[in-house]
Amino acid sequence: MFVEDSGRFREKVWLTWLGLAGLLAWGVHGLHLDIAYIGAKLPFLLGLKLAPDGFIQGAALTIFVSAASMLCASGVALVTAAGRLSSNPLAFALATFYASLFRGTPLLVQVLIIYLALPQIGIVLGALTSGLVALSLNYGAYLAETIRSGVMAVPAGQREAALALGLPRWVITWKVIAPQALRLIIPPAGALFVSMLKDSSLVSLMGLWELNFLAQSYARSSFRYMEMLLAAALIYWILSVGFEVVQFRLERRFGRGIAVVTDR
Amino acid sequence: MRVLWVLLLVLLYLPPAVAGATLDRVRRTGIVTDVLITQYPPFGFIDAENQVAGFDVDVARAFAARLGVRLKIETPSWESIVSGRWQGRWDLCICSMTPTAERAQVLGFPVEYYASPTVLVVHKDETRIKSVADLSGKRVGVGMGSSFEKYLDHSLRIPGEPPLAFPFHDVIAVPGDETINLRNLALGPGVRLDAIVASLSTAKAATESMRSLKILEPVLYWEPSLVATEKGDAEWDRTVANTVAALKADGTLAQISRKWLGMDVTTDVR
Repeated sequence: MFVEDSGRFREKVWLTWLGLAGLLAWGVHGLHLDIAYIGAKLPFLLGLKLAPDGFIQGAALTIFVSAASMLCASGVALVTAAGRLSSNPLAFALATFYASLFRGTPLLVQVLIIYLALPQIGIVLGALTSGLVALSLNYGAYLAETIRSGVMAVPAGQREAALALGLPRWVITWKVIAPQALRLIIPPAGALFVSMLKDSSLVSLMGLWELNFLAQSYARSSFRYMEMLLAAALIYWILSVGFEVVQFRLERRFGRGIAVVTDR
Repeated sequence: MRVLWVLLLVLLYLPPAVAGATLDRVRRTGIVTDVLITQYPPFGFIDAENQVAGFDVDVARAFAARLGVRLKIETPSWESIVSGRWQGRWDLCICSMTPTAERAQVLGFPVEYYASPTVLVVHKDETRIKSVADLSGKRVGVGMGSSFEKYLDHSLRIPGEPPLAFPFHDVIAVPGDETINLRNLALGPGVRLDAIVASLSTAKAATESMRSLKILEPVLYWEPSLVATEKGDAEWDRTVANTVAALKADGTLAQISRKWLGMDVTTDVR
């Protein structure tokens, strides 16, 4: 974060991006793709039309799965971070055990265990529910650590000063600690969510017609593998860029009055 | 992928479903839930109108119509299906499955509905491989978890079929995605793969769109495809067998076969 003195910074960044995008497009052009086929499948990949069972599909389902999982993961992470920062041994043990278990095992294995193993003990979850539960629990564990580090990075003097002023506990938490911690939490949390967007493709294992599932199915039905892979990759990328913009705005909002944020 | 098989092994040792449960559920709800693989044209795929289509889909539709129930199709991954222990999620799988000794431990196979030849696919510039006997020491692509994988390591036993001949040794099986394998073979003979073992219909579709591949004669062996069910409901298995037998007897299956494959694979020609 620094103030740019020459006013040409933004133009130069755009020019470089444009050059790199041109190079990428030229490389892709060399693959001699069947653009008409991509065009025909695009409305389905994007989820502009409903799946045969009347449910959303494609990118729309990917966005839904990611957004819903992000919401649940945030809830799980808040509780876990609280347990992690708690002086109660039981709460601390529960939080650390959960975080360790879900950070220490592959997401693919978690998805399959929740979908295939839970039914054996009588819990038969639907495909969508299994996916949401797996993604929420996995990312909740990572996000909890992010939240914890953000809270711990707020200088102890802030809390002490608030206590000296006689502020009640919840005011200290929500009005003093949280706003300062959020500024530090948002960049790594944003990175986690971008990665969740792509990991949501694992729910295709359970037969949900999300972006990756459709791309793979179309690819194998038509033997146009490169076309569908690249189309899916491009859509994921565009979604990620959208998310980065949101993250940037949030960073700017919570960074007010602290860092020198240039208005690029 | 090894983790997956360990997981499947663990599931093997858990208790089976309640007998009679599947038929009761189908009667009670009036819906039969069938599993389809959408990445296996022309048996199962997603068509231009974004609907599930193919040989297996039409057979499932005819099956449900004959039984007088509504058809619901779900599309989970192959691994989820072959691990068995469906716990009531699905009622049957008209999904081109060939029984193996391992699959028969966790799934029921009440009835065969078609048989398809297994063939060898090579690059058209291939000179070293003239028959299956030349596969010794070569790198051969097969679908991950497929029966072809078992064929290459001499362990394929199809329940109810005579033992197969394996006229090759020390083949380096390369299990993976069938489409990716085909693309790898198309790079040239021996570049990444020397040959591929696949079903004739898959091979035909592939050689039509990838001109650099060719199918070797003769057929390696005939592979039966059976309807799979969750193990433990003998009554449901009988119902499935009778319904498919009726569809075979009145020519419905033969008609569906000619529509998708240009030939009848449902009448036993072996």
